[in-house]
Amino acid sequence: MKWLLRLYPAEWRKRYGEEFAAVLASQRASLGMAFDVFSGAIDAHLHPQIYNSQSKQNEGDTMTNEMLQRCTVGGPKPSKRDKDVASMFMIGSALVMTVAYLVLTKIYRTRPAVEAFGYASFPVISLIYTQTAYLRKRPIFTQILVAAAGVTAMYLFFFGVCVIASKL
Amino acid sequence: MRKTKEDTELDDFGRFSEPALLILVSLAEGPKHGYSMTEDIEIVAGVRLGPGTLYGAIARLESRGLIEPLKSEDRRNPYRLTGVGERALRARLDSMMTVVRAGQRRLASA
Repeated sequence: MKWLLRLYPAEWRKRYGEEFAAVLASQRASLGMAFDVFSGAIDAHLHPQIYNSQSKQNEGDTMTNEMLQRCTVGGPKPSKRDKDVASMFMIGSALVMTVAYLVLTKIYRTRPAVEAFGYASFPVISLIYTQTAYLRKRPIFTQILVAAAGVTAMYLFFFGVCVIASKL
Repeated sequence: MRKTKEDTELDDFGRFSEPALLILVSLAEGPKHGYSMTEDIEIVAGVRLGPGTLYGAIARLESRGLIEPLKSEDRRNPYRLTGVGERALRARLDSMMTVVRAGQRRLASA
């Protein structure tokens, strides 16, 4: 049953792993015990501040930062440079999309495809920021796949909404 | 009944409130490691805490400074009650005792 320890975060294992394994070894293996360990592991992942003193220093952080940290549990921690690069990409993509939207509106007026482009801009820009910051160290194939899938899904969603709205 | 600061120490432990209280009661006797705590708690309260619950409560108590680990050569780290932990335990037991007495008094007069 010692393999159950792997369900816990690395920091937690570093702090309590050995003594936890000793208690685990002293108890009879059962479904109830496996469930107890499993729910304890979920709790440890959800409340890292309890065992991680480093996290205690972040208690004053904003809710947005906390949410971003939760979203990237297990992923690479972006450095300040990664965040700066991501911000530049975000601002650049916002400018490009604004110009593209204005040009498309000028040529095609308010067709659903153009409207959807406008509505999808903000989520797409957020995706570009997130991807640039958090997937930077991942393989280029992963980055392209996530970007393409994300942008396509968002655009299709807004396109569908705009088509329905135009028929009402 | 007005609650003191010590009395509310275990209030936001959620599902770990009761295990945390049992751990404090166990450590009131002296330092113990995880395995000894589960054995002692089973004798005192008739409950056997699973390792996940035990260490979820230990981590919370430690982060609040209610218990602290002692240095050990052994891989089984013993823990002891701190001053804050002792005050929190006294406050919680006092408030429980008040409820127990009230309940018994009412049952007697019923």
